[in-house]
Amino acid sequence: MTRFIVPRSKLHHMTTATLRLLMPEIVLVAVAVAIYLAGAFWNGRRAWSWIAGAALLASAAILWAQTSETDAGGPLRIDALAWFTRWLALGLGALLALLSSRPLTAGGTSEYVGSLLLTVAGLMLVASAADLVLLFVALELISIPTYLLLYLGRSDVARRESAAKYFFLSVLSSAILLYGFSFLCGVAGFARSAGTPHAITEFAAVHAALDGASGAGQGIALTAFAKLAMVLVFAGLSFRVTAVPFHFYAPDVYQGTTHPNAALLSLVPKAAGLVAMVRILVDAMPAMAPHAWQMVLVVSLLTMTVANVMALWQDDFRRLLAYSSISQAGYMLLALAVALAGGRESGEWDGLATLWFYVVVYALATLGAFAIAEHLGGPNRRVDGIDELAGLGRTRPMAGAMMAVCMLSLTGVPPLAGFWGKLLVFGGALNTGAGVVGQIVNLPSQVNNLPHGTQWWFIAAAVIGVLNAAVAAAYYLRVVAMLYFRTPSTTLRPEGGRGPWFAAVLCTLLLIAAGVYPGPLLRTTTEAAGGPRESTAQEATASMPSIFLDHL
Amino acid sequence: MLDIKTLLILIPALPLVAAVLTAALGAPILRTRSHLPVVAAIALSSVASLLLLARMQEQAGQGRGGQETVSLWRWADVAGDGQNAARQEALSPGHSLSRDFRVDVALEADSLTAAMLAIVTCISTLVAIYSIGYMRGDLGYWRFFSYIGLFVFSMTMLVSATNLVLLYVFWEAVGLCSYLLIGFWYERPAAADAGKKAFLVNRIGDVGLALGIFLIWTTYGTVDFREVFAAAGNSAGDWRTTVICLLLLAGACGKSAQVPLHVWLPDAMEGPTPVSALIHAATMVTAGVYLIARCMPLFATSVTAQCAVATVGGVTALLGGIIAVTQTDLKRILAYSTISHLGYMFLALGTGTLLGVTAGMFHLLTHAFFKALLFLAAGSVMHAMGGVIDIRRLGGLRRRMPVTHWTFLVGCLAIAGVWPLSGFWSKDAIVLAVQQRYGSGAASTLFEALFVTATFGVLLIDFYMFRPYFLVFWGKERIPAVAGGHAQESPRVMTAPLIALALGAAGVGAYFAWTGSFARFLAGSPSLAGLGPAMGELPRSGHESIALLSTAITLVGIVLAAFIYLGGPQRAARLARAMNVIGLYSLSYGKFFFDPLYHALVVWPLLGAARLAAWFDRRVIDGLVDLFGWLPALVGAALRPVQGGLVQFYALAMMLGLLAMLGLLLM
Repeated sequence: MTRFIVPRSKLHHMTTATLRLLMPEIVLVAVAVAIYLAGAFWNGRRAWSWIAGAALLASAAILWAQTSETDAGGPLRIDALAWFTRWLALGLGALLALLSSRPLTAGGTSEYVGSLLLTVAGLMLVASAADLVLLFVALELISIPTYLLLYLGRSDVARRESAAKYFFLSVLSSAILLYGFSFLCGVAGFARSAGTPHAITEFAAVHAALDGASGAGQGIALTAFAKLAMVLVFAGLSFRVTAVPFHFYAPDVYQGTTHPNAALLSLVPKAAGLVAMVRILVDAMPAMAPHAWQMVLVVSLLTMTVANVMALWQDDFRRLLAYSSISQAGYMLLALAVALAGGRESGEWDGLATLWFYVVVYALATLGAFAIAEHLGGPNRRVDGIDELAGLGRTRPMAGAMMAVCMLSLTGVPPLAGFWGKLLVFGGALNTGAGVVGQIVNLPSQVNNLPHGTQWWFIAAAVIGVLNAAVAAAYYLRVVAMLYFRTPSTTLRPEGGRGPWFAAVLCTLLLIAAGVYPGPLLRTTTEAAGGPRESTAQEATASMPSIFLDHL
Repeated sequence: MLDIKTLLILIPALPLVAAVLTAALGAPILRTRSHLPVVAAIALSSVASLLLLARMQEQAGQGRGGQETVSLWRWADVAGDGQNAARQEALSPGHSLSRDFRVDVALEADSLTAAMLAIVTCISTLVAIYSIGYMRGDLGYWRFFSYIGLFVFSMTMLVSATNLVLLYVFWEAVGLCSYLLIGFWYERPAAADAGKKAFLVNRIGDVGLALGIFLIWTTYGTVDFREVFAAAGNSAGDWRTTVICLLLLAGACGKSAQVPLHVWLPDAMEGPTPVSALIHAATMVTAGVYLIARCMPLFATSVTAQCAVATVGGVTALLGGIIAVTQTDLKRILAYSTISHLGYMFLALGTGTLLGVTAGMFHLLTHAFFKALLFLAAGSVMHAMGGVIDIRRLGGLRRRMPVTHWTFLVGCLAIAGVWPLSGFWSKDAIVLAVQQRYGSGAASTLFEALFVTATFGVLLIDFYMFRPYFLVFWGKERIPAVAGGHAQESPRVMTAPLIALALGAAGVGAYFAWTGSFARFLAGSPSLAGLGPAMGELPRSGHESIALLSTAITLVGIVLAAFIYLGGPQRAARLARAMNVIGLYSLSYGKFFFDPLYHALVVWPLLGAARLAAWFDRRVIDGLVDLFGWLPALVGAALRPVQGGLVQFYALAMMLGLLAMLGLLLM
């Protein structure tokens, strides 16, 4: 039987270097715990937000100081993707802190702020994990504080219902994920050769086991188990990414909770799920990629289609954005499928660079939309229905314009950042699809190790994706039309405070900037995409996907 | 000193600068002084044109080639495709596309251009001065002068372009100016409609011109006039040349209001009268004549094309004359007269001889003077009579408006061709050219018929011009009520140009015909070089038998008009009844029913098709699109019950999804 074996020589290494590398996360967790404890004695309200902000700043400062350090051993993997995700997490954390800076009426501010810090730390840790156990712990570090967040802040039946739903289904998904991890450990242990430095829970062990298993009878059995593990892991993570059919909770939960919570739910678990998917599917089991991309592609198309047609019927703002977040997850998974189908040489790059680009752009637009809605609300009042936004473009021109920018970016209208996201996703799918099509849209076809015939899958996927984008435009533009072409029914008094306003301004400006000048962001995400295979960022920049980048 | 190249640039540049200046500063600063930049610029332009003319004549006198080119910049430069050229060579040997497609913005002065420039700028100057008085107080005063400046720029560019593409650009530009000025009082529906009609009818001709230019490019591989003519000389008598000529003729018919595309010109009289005088009588409408004269080397190779031009001209001359006889709106009479005279010019060009072409251009010159004069005099009447121009409501104005009366009379005598006024010389030259043509060249039967037509047309001219003259200026004084108290002579700023034009209308013909210098000067143009002195020596007007014949006809026409219209209304009515025995009066009064015919044959079918298409678009296409739009929503509606809110079901769905994925992947 296999056992967890950690070589003694590595233990010392872990206790010093690992702790030093994890210092940004540790700071956040420590502050969070301190806030939890102190909150029992002192209801500081506003102060807790400032302390949380300071913690995020401190964490960022530490991260900045060690930017050049990498570590490829032990349970940690601090590569380009890890750096990218950790900075992304801190950025999202800061924006979410601004978004939820208004003190809760019912108390519990300290718990709220502490939980927020924990989820941020969880997301950072997800990206740094090179070990199944650590990855699972990191994911739960996001899930468990989220349960708490959903209970805080409001005290009505809808809130309790939404929190309960999220709790039960999240636990179920975690169980599925854990089940999948156990199969992965089995695969790694089964094919474990003597003298390997890796523990069976490490990604490297899984990778080595699958690479070693080729052809022979033992290998076939191993591949079957690996497939089983892959599906279970993907299903477990799909809950966090809100992919169909693991998405059902999202509309109910978003509708029942607050704007900041909905924003957090639509960003942090989704980003963590995608990072984990990349870690497992791309890093740990690249040998399974030929199977993985089919699964991801089908789920991606199902996700965007179901979400978009359902979104057409929504009148509730957060419910609409829930479906929006599901459909956007579909586009992200399409990018992931492109990455998985791509050759190990170059295609993977484009797909992942696109994926991270899309994630950032989606996060900014979604956060912006929720921030404006939060800003328009008040201590005892929330913006719920879309029709409450009627005429906002005239009564509150700035807020209306910012909401319009966010919606148009989600639609993918140039010159906003969302346009580049869509262009990269669909262009990447076409590029993967076929050399012929690649020539039509003037993309050099880089990916051609797909079996003949399956290329048409990607062309079909691009077509379905574009049709979906057109359907999505219907409900995004409905909001824009509401802003500008309806007479205001009620006058909204914005009492949300300056935090959400500031967050909205920041998001909108970034969306416009990244839309007009997408080069820097694309370069950053390309660097992040380079990480999973080659952990040196320099090589990543040397072979950036040149298709769009050369021209931006 | 100013050399020819500088002059050539200055002539269009000055009006352009003035137009832009007026457009920018007219409304806020210049206001009632908006005419200053434009009038000054056009006046300077005309001085420059006359200087240019003198220089050219000087050069021609010294025997140097009368041609100067100034290239401003290269507009288009597409390298020739060697492969394409080889393919083209294989398809039709001798016509290759090996040359590069080059379009220069370049101006060239030969005697034809110099003459056109002088005519355009001089008439423009007088009309612009006249407009100061005529347009005073109009809300769009600055707009008017800005348009006029733009027009003079476009027209001068048109006649100095070295290639067909540049010519086409300014061909459209003058069309635009015409549209803007016809619809100048755009708040009047009639004016707006007339502008639209002019634009659309011109478009039909322009398609012909564009196709002609395309065919020239594919045939000769160049669009530069000089290169085209050189190439055409090598491949004489080719059927392509005939097609090119017919297409160019279509373009010319649109711009110069020849049958069957003449219908826009009478309606164009809705514009301000100075515009009618300048654009729709003296200058722009002669662009078609200029185009054909310029492309004479092409027309010279094709007898078919010559016959087509001559026939169009002859038919138009006759038709325009017949219609003009019965119209009651003074400006429309003049418009049909313009159509008829343009027909004469086409007829002259259609002879394809040097005598004919110079006669046509000579008539263009004299016509510019006397038709501008007549229009401006009519405008003076209109100005005084509070906008009324119906000759049945006017009468006996000669005492109230002496200057207008005398200048109008000079115009009538000139247009009628009474010796020694200018019309006499140019019209006789045309009739002579046609007569010579049927004596010598091919298709003599056609030209014999055209000779008869032209001679009969002279009678019509006298009659239809003296009819309004006698009705408006003689007889009992009749002044419409709207004229109010200001039924008097127009201000000095309007009468001065009238007098200047009257002097020109009286004198230019005799001067040039006597000396023969106009024809000699024009013959120096490369466009006319291939025609040669067809009659053995350079043509001289005043062939005695023709002169006698036309003078006799003229006198008959004038006396007839005097007899009928000075003698009271019953004589005119009796004449109308007599003419109507064969339906002639109705035909003429109804303008040969071109408009209803076009409505029935072109406008209504098109409108019907458009309505059908619109209905199809709204009902069928939109319906389909709506259906597709609803499809996603319907699918969504079908899926909605799945999102029931039960957490057990959600968990079940997750597990089922997981199982489905497992099943699919492990199978």
